[in-house]
Amino acid sequence: MSSPISPACARPETALSRREVMAAGAAGLALVALPAPARAAAPPALAELVARITEGAVPERGKISFDIPQLVENGNSVDVAIQVESPMTDADHVRWIHVIAEKNPFPDVARFHLSPRSGRADIRATLRLATSQKVVAIAALSGGGYVMADADIVVTLSACIDGG
Amino acid sequence: MAFNARITMPAEAKAGEIVEIRVLVRHPMDRGGQVDSEGRVVPRKILNRLTVTYAGEPVFRYDMHTGVSANPFVSFTTRAVETGDLSFEWREDGGATFTRTARLVVT
Repeated sequence: MSSPISPACARPETALSRREVMAAGAAGLALVALPAPARAAAPPALAELVARITEGAVPERGKISFDIPQLVENGNSVDVAIQVESPMTDADHVRWIHVIAEKNPFPDVARFHLSPRSGRADIRATLRLATSQKVVAIAALSGGGYVMADADIVVTLSACIDGG
Repeated sequence: MAFNARITMPAEAKAGEIVEIRVLVRHPMDRGGQVDSEGRVVPRKILNRLTVTYAGEPVFRYDMHTGVSANPFVSFTTRAVETGDLSFEWREDGGATFTRTARLVVT
């Protein structure tokens, strides 16, 4: 029998061994020393993931609504709805909407390309979430700006259990 | 497994009206790395892109990664401008493509 958690979903091991913690504790550094090595192997932080999408620009908040349940029992299929307030004209429209789930094995989840012909920036879709985390929706506007909204979500059954 | 797509949209609309199009596809969206009942590793095989054109003009594109659920659903909108076919094309890992069309009559 294989482990119920498939390797593709496993995160790089960031926890310290008991021995390391004891050694650090003995040196009186346990609280200070813990975060640094844990962060060394950690996946890219959410801010980095967002910056990569927006090419460094800091997205504004507001004008975008991101509707996702706060608690889902099953991460295999999570309904999301995203709306951006935009007239969707040639001069002012949403170019695309990108969704990031920071703790998924592949944090880039989906991208929706829109155009003035969309009429409305209004998207719904079903996603897969590996674990409880913060999920972010970023919209790129035709004027060059970005808007974002995020939501914390608790997943009781991960999408990483085999068979999902 | 046969490719099965369910496209829900109005058959006709007034010019300028915004119509909502809902698309549900049957697909396992294997994200890769899972182990099946015989202990083999399942390779990644997902639909990675859905492109929608309306009377030949692209109106919507959905880039999917492994974080999209099995049997992916998506809903989007488009403005009814002329009578024509909406053509949906899915691209699967490995290069296979699947297409469906739906007609929108504009009055």
